[in-house]
Amino acid sequence: MLLTYIIKRILWTIPFLFAVSIVAFALIQAPPGDYLTTFAATLAQSGDMVDQERLEALRTRYGLDQPFIVQYWKWISGVLVGDFGISFEWQQPVSNLIWERMALSLCLAVSTLLFTWAVAFPIGIYSAVRKYSIGDYVVTTIGFLGLAMPNFLLALVLMYIGVVYFGADVGGLFSPEYQTAPWSWAKVVDLGKHIWIPVVILGTSSSAALIRIMRANLLDELNKPYVTTARAKGLSEFRLLLKYPVRLALNPFVSTIGWAFPQLISGAVITAFVLSLPTAGPLLLQALLAQDMYLAGAFILLLCTLTVVGMLVSDILLALLDPRIRYR
Amino acid sequence: MNVPPKLDLTSLSRRLALGSAVALLAMASSAMAVEYSEAPALADLVVEGKLPPVAERLPTNPEVVTPIESIGTYGGQLRYGLRGSSDHNNILRMVGPQGLVRWSPDYIDVIPNVAESFEVNDDATVFTFHLRDGMKWSDGEPFTADDILFNMQDLVFNADFAPTPPRYMANGEPAKVEKVDDTTVTFTFAAPYGDFLAELASPLGQHPVLYAKHYCSQFLPQYNDQIDELVAANNASDWQNLYLAKCGDIEIPARWGNAERPTLDPWVAVEPYTGGAVRVVMGRNPYFWQVDPEGNQLPYIDELVSPIAQDVESLILDAIGGRIDFQIRHLDAAANRPVLAENREAGGYEFVEASPPGGVNMIINLNLTHKDPELRELFNKKDFRVALSLGMDRQAIIDTALLGDGQPWQQGPFEDHPNYHEKISTQYLDFDQAEANRLLDGIGLDKRGPDGMRLLPSGRPLKFQVDVIPTLQPEQVDMLELIEQYWAEIGVDMDVNALERTFFYERTSNSNDHDAAVWGGQASWVPGEIPQQLVPVHHDSRWGIPWSRWYNTGGAEGEEPPASVKERMKLYDQARATVDPEKRRAIIHQIADIAAEEFEVMGVSKAVPTYGVTKANLMNVPESMPSSWYYPTPAPTMLTTWYWAK
Repeated sequence: MLLTYIIKRILWTIPFLFAVSIVAFALIQAPPGDYLTTFAATLAQSGDMVDQERLEALRTRYGLDQPFIVQYWKWISGVLVGDFGISFEWQQPVSNLIWERMALSLCLAVSTLLFTWAVAFPIGIYSAVRKYSIGDYVVTTIGFLGLAMPNFLLALVLMYIGVVYFGADVGGLFSPEYQTAPWSWAKVVDLGKHIWIPVVILGTSSSAALIRIMRANLLDELNKPYVTTARAKGLSEFRLLLKYPVRLALNPFVSTIGWAFPQLISGAVITAFVLSLPTAGPLLLQALLAQDMYLAGAFILLLCTLTVVGMLVSDILLALLDPRIRYR
Repeated sequence: MNVPPKLDLTSLSRRLALGSAVALLAMASSAMAVEYSEAPALADLVVEGKLPPVAERLPTNPEVVTPIESIGTYGGQLRYGLRGSSDHNNILRMVGPQGLVRWSPDYIDVIPNVAESFEVNDDATVFTFHLRDGMKWSDGEPFTADDILFNMQDLVFNADFAPTPPRYMANGEPAKVEKVDDTTVTFTFAAPYGDFLAELASPLGQHPVLYAKHYCSQFLPQYNDQIDELVAANNASDWQNLYLAKCGDIEIPARWGNAERPTLDPWVAVEPYTGGAVRVVMGRNPYFWQVDPEGNQLPYIDELVSPIAQDVESLILDAIGGRIDFQIRHLDAAANRPVLAENREAGGYEFVEASPPGGVNMIINLNLTHKDPELRELFNKKDFRVALSLGMDRQAIIDTALLGDGQPWQQGPFEDHPNYHEKISTQYLDFDQAEANRLLDGIGLDKRGPDGMRLLPSGRPLKFQVDVIPTLQPEQVDMLELIEQYWAEIGVDMDVNALERTFFYERTSNSNDHDAAVWGGQASWVPGEIPQQLVPVHHDSRWGIPWSRWYNTGGAEGEEPPASVKERMKLYDQARATVDPEKRRAIIHQIADIAAEEFEVMGVSKAVPTYGVTKANLMNVPESMPSSWYYPTPAPTMLTTWYWAK
């Protein structure tokens, strides 16, 4: 039963990804002009000038003067055999540029997700069980603040405090000496020392949201007759809480995996931009702004794939956790 | 902190510059007797046997550069910030375009650079360059006339690689490049071409010495039989892509993306500028060909280190945190000045001035080739343009939108520049709405609609839009909004049309769909710079796009311009052919006379100097330097002589 469900889901992702690739490509092409007009405009902004003849020659070389469908075919036929094309801006194969950044993005997203759970789970339970206590009010206030404050603003404020009061640079994921070093155990430790800042910044709003959801769900359950029955039968309060109502209230936690991945990666773009993190977000944004379409296309396609995989994982987990979903 | 007074390079007179050039030559000959010295790190490598001694690394006649303040000491990093995307020209401006020739620090004369000297024949058709004997690429291989031939014949004139830039052609024919001996090369043109030296001095004119033959030739099919395997092994799409990825080109990021590529630059890539890089480090070139008067090999500074900030705001934070040693680009927007000024102490920096040699920061171009016949007819009436110019209170606009920083100005170089032309810069600057109304009434715009705005002779309301890119210079929008109010007072209905930048390009330069547009109008009309506001020959001449297309395609496309424009195009070609600076200036002034008489474009305020930051103990940095892409700021101020005070 579960197996056919999974296979069906996987088969469905194929036409979905195909549609996504067309939409992504069309969106990248939608703004007026192309990579080369943007290139000329960016240089003009800094007072530089471009050789007009070279631009025209490059336009022909890159095939930017060809119709949409021809360009799309050129791209997607390469992607199917693992060739993501060349980044116009960097003259490098796209595949050389994206993998390390995607890996760091994924690492950041997973860490943030774990952080969010670690914070939201106990606090959510606490504020539901001790409803309207001082602790609940404090947590609620902090939660609402976290929800209301945009991540990038928090990042800017933290950076400003870091620079002005501590003379420290809070941007980046590595110390200067590890930035270009090959991967080693020391580099991983260094990553651990830096990653908590973006994790906290990115995690605040989703933790706040999860706390609210956990609290609301649990409050619904706590007044149900089975809880009273269990309590009357002398089950310890702790065991009772964790075994029944919390388990039911867990559904939103699991379903967050599906939407947390895309949200963490796309929502992290501006924060990563501000903090100069070497993740996928800033490079994606640059590629979009520069209309470097093969690079942007590869990122979008991969992000969509990640989202689809995240959804699949969360659906499977939900199905395991809650039998009602399987039989529907 | 006690800092010695700095010389103001821009105030150097021309004679002084020439005088110091003579002194420089005298010292060059005496330098041969001098024992050369080098950076400690390089000396260590020599001891270890990893590098030949400094005297063998330098050419027999290295260029002797006299620092503006003092002889320096070796060591240290120079930190400046890069923007995440398309900021390769920032590196170019710091490392410098090491072409055959370069601009003098005051941006008036072209002086030898990679070439030791040059000669031009009387009719400016033959240019002879003498290279430095024994000069080497950054990997120690000799640099000779063969490299120039390789650059020109195998790349610049190779249509399979890229079209030949008009810079290397005269009369439509490419230059003939010949090797006389290992250190002498001649460029022969089919017609006189006086601007050629200035073209070579611009950052776009480095092609003759850009690529090292011994390295880059392996990526060309005519030198490498196995090119297809190499293309495949590097995941490249074709040999052109592979070539650009490995050897770069003047204006693409890949130029700084390969640490293996030999160059003639003072600093070479150590941590290259590639997609996803978080910083770029350029280390010293052990074979660099300049020394100071005491025979110390330049540059003094070990490394250029540039963290890549995704966002300009975080560059400002870096500057006030003291993590930037020198930077003008990105920081010099007027809006940043208060925050930079406030944190001078904390960041340990001083301001450095970048002053444009002339022109305005916003020039208004009415589209004289408008697709609508009625508007086109109106825009082509000089009285209409004069009325618009008289109809705005420039001083009030300067006081409000530019915080008082400026002076009413139409266009062209400033009073202290040799190319200054009084009439074109200062005519019609008065604020005289009565006269403006009289002029407008006199050209058939005397009827008004119910809202008080003037009607065109056909009865249609007179209304047009001025296109502007708000992100380019935010002040432009503020200025235009004030102008909109002034023009409404004389019954002219103008709207400010803020556009995204690529859309702006598409609408104006490509399809000529605009009513009017504004653009930066900094200009000094020196050779090598395109005087696009005097004569429409460039896609930034938004007052006559079809005319410029006509000029650039030899009459095949676009639209034939009127006689006065054609006359200026002819004169412009003459100016480009003229080698004598005085004669060239006379021709440019002839063009300016005609342009002043026609009064096609109008400015508001002089382009004022902008301010970047420089660390207080960074020495030999001039307090003020010319600001121009063609110069390009700050390279000709000789970053090789900058050093850290101990």
